[in-house]
Amino acid sequence: MNTFRRSWQLRSAKISIAILLVVVVLVVFGHLLAPMNPLQQHDGQILKGPSSRFWLGTDYLGRDVLSRLLAGSALSVLSALEAVGIAFGLGVFPGLASVYLGRSFEWVSQRVMDGLMALPFIIFAIAVAALLGNGLHQAMFAVGILMAPGFFRITRAAAWSFNQAQYVEAAQLLGASPWRVIRTHIWNKVLPTVAITTANHIAGALLVVSSLTFLGIGVVPPTPTWGGMLASDLSYLAQQRWAPIFPALVIMLTVGALNALADAIRDSAGDSVRQTTGRRRLGRVQNVGAR
Amino acid sequence: MNTRRSLGATMGAAMLALAAACGGSATASSGGTGGAGGTLTWGWGLPSTWDPATSAIGNDTHALALTYAALTKLDVKGTAVPALAKSWKYNSDGTQVTFTLRPGLKFSDGTPLDAEAVKYNILRGRDGKGSNIADQLAEVKDVTVAGTTSVTLVLDKPDYQIPALLAGKTGDLVSPTAAKKNAAGLATKPVGAGPFILTDYVPDSHAELKKNPNYWDAKDIKLDKFVLKEAPDPSVAVAGLQSGQYDMATIPPSQIQAAKAAGLKIEANTTFNVRTLDVNGTVAPFNNPKVMQAISHAINRKELVKTAFFGQGEPDWQPFPKGYVGYDPSLDNLYSYDPGKAKQLLAEAGHPDGLKITLWVADAGDALAEVLQKQLNAVGIKVTLKVEQPGINNYLTRQYPLALDSFSGRESPVQALTVLFGQKGLMNLGKTKSGTFDNALNVVRATPLDSPKYAAAIQAATAAGVKSMPNTFLFSWKRIFAYKPNVSGLQPWVDTQRWEGVAVK
Amino acid sequence: MVVIEQSAPLDVGVAVSPRRRSLRLLRSLGRGLAVAVPVLFIATFITYGLGALSKFSPANAVLGDTATKADITRMNHQYGLDRPFIVQYFSWVGRAVRGDFGTSWFTHIPVTQSIEQRLPVSLSVAVGALIIAVVLGTLVGIAAALNNGGWFDRAVTFVCSLLSTVPGFVAAIVLITVFAVSLPILPSGGYVGPSVNIGQWLKFLILPCLSLSLDSAADLARQLRNGLVGTLRENYVTGAVVRGYSTRRVVFVHALRNGAGPALAVLGLHVPRLIGGAVITETVFALPGLGQLAKDSALRGDVPVVQATLLVTIGLVLVSSLLVNIGLRRLRPGTGRAE
Repeated sequence: MNTFRRSWQLRSAKISIAILLVVVVLVVFGHLLAPMNPLQQHDGQILKGPSSRFWLGTDYLGRDVLSRLLAGSALSVLSALEAVGIAFGLGVFPGLASVYLGRSFEWVSQRVMDGLMALPFIIFAIAVAALLGNGLHQAMFAVGILMAPGFFRITRAAAWSFNQAQYVEAAQLLGASPWRVIRTHIWNKVLPTVAITTANHIAGALLVVSSLTFLGIGVVPPTPTWGGMLASDLSYLAQQRWAPIFPALVIMLTVGALNALADAIRDSAGDSVRQTTGRRRLGRVQNVGAR
Repeated sequence: MNTRRSLGATMGAAMLALAAACGGSATASSGGTGGAGGTLTWGWGLPSTWDPATSAIGNDTHALALTYAALTKLDVKGTAVPALAKSWKYNSDGTQVTFTLRPGLKFSDGTPLDAEAVKYNILRGRDGKGSNIADQLAEVKDVTVAGTTSVTLVLDKPDYQIPALLAGKTGDLVSPTAAKKNAAGLATKPVGAGPFILTDYVPDSHAELKKNPNYWDAKDIKLDKFVLKEAPDPSVAVAGLQSGQYDMATIPPSQIQAAKAAGLKIEANTTFNVRTLDVNGTVAPFNNPKVMQAISHAINRKELVKTAFFGQGEPDWQPFPKGYVGYDPSLDNLYSYDPGKAKQLLAEAGHPDGLKITLWVADAGDALAEVLQKQLNAVGIKVTLKVEQPGINNYLTRQYPLALDSFSGRESPVQALTVLFGQKGLMNLGKTKSGTFDNALNVVRATPLDSPKYAAAIQAATAAGVKSMPNTFLFSWKRIFAYKPNVSGLQPWVDTQRWEGVAVK
Repeated sequence: MVVIEQSAPLDVGVAVSPRRRSLRLLRSLGRGLAVAVPVLFIATFITYGLGALSKFSPANAVLGDTATKADITRMNHQYGLDRPFIVQYFSWVGRAVRGDFGTSWFTHIPVTQSIEQRLPVSLSVAVGALIIAVVLGTLVGIAAALNNGGWFDRAVTFVCSLLSTVPGFVAAIVLITVFAVSLPILPSGGYVGPSVNIGQWLKFLILPCLSLSLDSAADLARQLRNGLVGTLRENYVTGAVVRGYSTRRVVFVHALRNGAGPALAVLGLHVPRLIGGAVITETVFALPGLGQLAKDSALRGDVPVVQATLLVTIGLVLVSSLLVNIGLRRLRPGTGRAE
């Protein structure tokens, strides 16, 4: 846990955490903080610039942009978390298990993960969403599956390297069960690696969600999302040139904070973590397939 | 965004037309050298197939009209006028119509376009495997040929609509030589007698065409080359025109301002396009006519046009635009915007505390859905919007009882009304039968197009359908083209876009 | 990426005889294939299963107004959709191996034909993006490393970090706004084949390739910079400088060879993304590539086309991974040390 304590000392980590705390507040209380009903269409106020009444202006239906941004935080972030949660579950546990459950499990799980990695990212997500029902959950499920190999590999590599450590061998010799070894010795060591990967993948998932929204996948009108607002603002550039800036900034700040936090943890971690997650920023997923 | 196009495709012709309207763009490429008329690059959806008989998408008609000609065509207002046929004549009871072809016509492969070729095409459309025009031609009992230029369609009942019916996809004539040799090949290699000949085609990307010197009306075709190019994403449509990728493109109304600012010209034409709600009148609560009336009274159509379509349309209570022969002026304001009345009707229908319904939309970016949701909410109808699973053909599967759609008319108004209100009609989701409508329609069929009673008859049929069926009409919307100033000669075609007189300097 | 990571740990660059090297090459090729085949099986199984799970049938796409139950049943039989799933899967794979992907339910065009038309577009964009990424990433990375800690270095780090927070479609639209509208020097979208006009082909490719390459270029620059900064501190480099070699020579001969390892590995990771991930680029720039074919077909429920494009893309990803992997082992400029 020293890794985390050390990383908190970094200035970049402090700033990132401050931003992410704000995001968390927005996710939990965003709909309460919204000064207006984010769905209310104000007559005669279509595509207006910022004013004392509408701080960030109004959208193509005369809805308050600030309120929509605030209220849209929850769905935007939670959908990214949903994808990463699925990836986490499908990646981390098999990743640990592949080190301990014998060669056949190892071989099969590796081939399955390789198979998933060979799927073209955004095309597959679109295909899943389009063929299995055009919902946000379908799309996020697809993204989760596609991100699973990232967690799998990194967890596996970390667990493997610690598994070679002498104290682990000692515990094994003393007859500790694999699960006990994992719980008491490996898990804590793997945690920084997993944390870095998680932060990077949440950032990546946020971008992927925006891109899918741009393509019209997984949108649920009239519920606002950051990506959805950004995509629709681009249709009204002639009327409001500045409009895309607000949702874009929110996305960029959140993604940037997550990436910076991941870097901070990595920088504070020991050599082994740096090796398994790659050098600074190597393990980042960012726009994976989002172009 | 871009999905508008693809989603539209699944909703059929109408939605696709809208989709293309949102995503489309047309252009005359900057490299337009050659002859007097130059090259026009038009951004528009490419056809699903170049075979008019198997095309299942109404919007294909625009592309098919580039390579095919028919016996007749629709003029700017939607009236059938001579094309390959220089005239036609009905027998006294309207059960036979004889077309007289212009002499010496040829398909682009050299095959003579004579009475036998017409006969072949009508029978192929009626009986051919995979034909999607078989229904329209089912009433043709027989086709007889007299000499090379006279061909007679024998019908099983009086129908004076045949010249209009044949003006579109249904009547596009394919070279019999090509169709006999390789019918499947027509999907990518059309052989017709239209104004242009296809020279290069990459599906969903572009089609290059050159002028057909043997086209019957070749003197009115000024363009030497025509490029049909897949429409750009609406967010970059104007940029595409500005940077010379297109000479002409369909743009959504939100882009008009940007297009004007970029020095482009705008042509917004009233067409057959009308936004509609497809309704399955056999499913509760829509099986109660009062509920549908309440919904219609709750809708402020003026606001829909203004907010969701930037004012580029007109409120409408029927499937035709103002000015068309089938448009019945007495239907205007049939269901005036009256929230009080809507609430009262809801209460009478047994829903005094309001109602919860689901509205299916094809395009998540369609602002119209969100405005409708607000308006219905105001009278106590809570609407859940569901973006439909793309690719589901709701006309066939009928799994959504209330769907936001658009109707883009048909060459013949009778055909159009049949699609909406006929018992087998595509957009009659409940497949219910309306006796008053069927009777009114039979009267129209038996009325010659040039009879003084025709207009009254078709309008009566429109009214009968609108009043007896649950389909709800919202507004007629315009097809908006942005084009470069060097494009001239565009005309406001109400149906298929045509190119007579269009030139690029 | 699949295969690349299999190759780790890379051995340290010790001199090897040519014979042993080619043997090793063969072995790595063999190992790659041994991995690729099961991977292909799993990926295609998922791909095919996806279509089978969907509710779509050719009847939705093809039949018009008056389809009856019997019509639909007949159509499903005609397309072999009434057979057990596993039979369908193997018959699909069997036909796919021979290059037969069936016919689109929607356009009735043979799928192979559509793919042949689109493959050159996707490959042009992917290769173009790769070249831009390599050139741009290398130049910027080296310059930043030489400027270690200076304003340029910091600017590069900032821009690279910034780029990784922008959704792809925003970057693409910004590029169009700048280069096609504000300074109208490049087309905003579309595609011209190289056989039609080479100059036009290149002109139309610049913006999409640039937009697609930004990510990879940023990543590459960052990795190269970090790798170089590390190497430049090492003793032998200092030694070379002390011995009077010019900085340029030291960078290009000594440091680059050793610092490029992780950068090349990054490139390996990005190649599949460039091939399989260009949907947004193709959409914004109206490029008729594989990604757009897959997207359009998926949205209209044209299952055979979706399955075929996924399969082809997977194949391309595997082949490119295999090639990158072999290339990496051949070049192997001291990768081991840099890791």
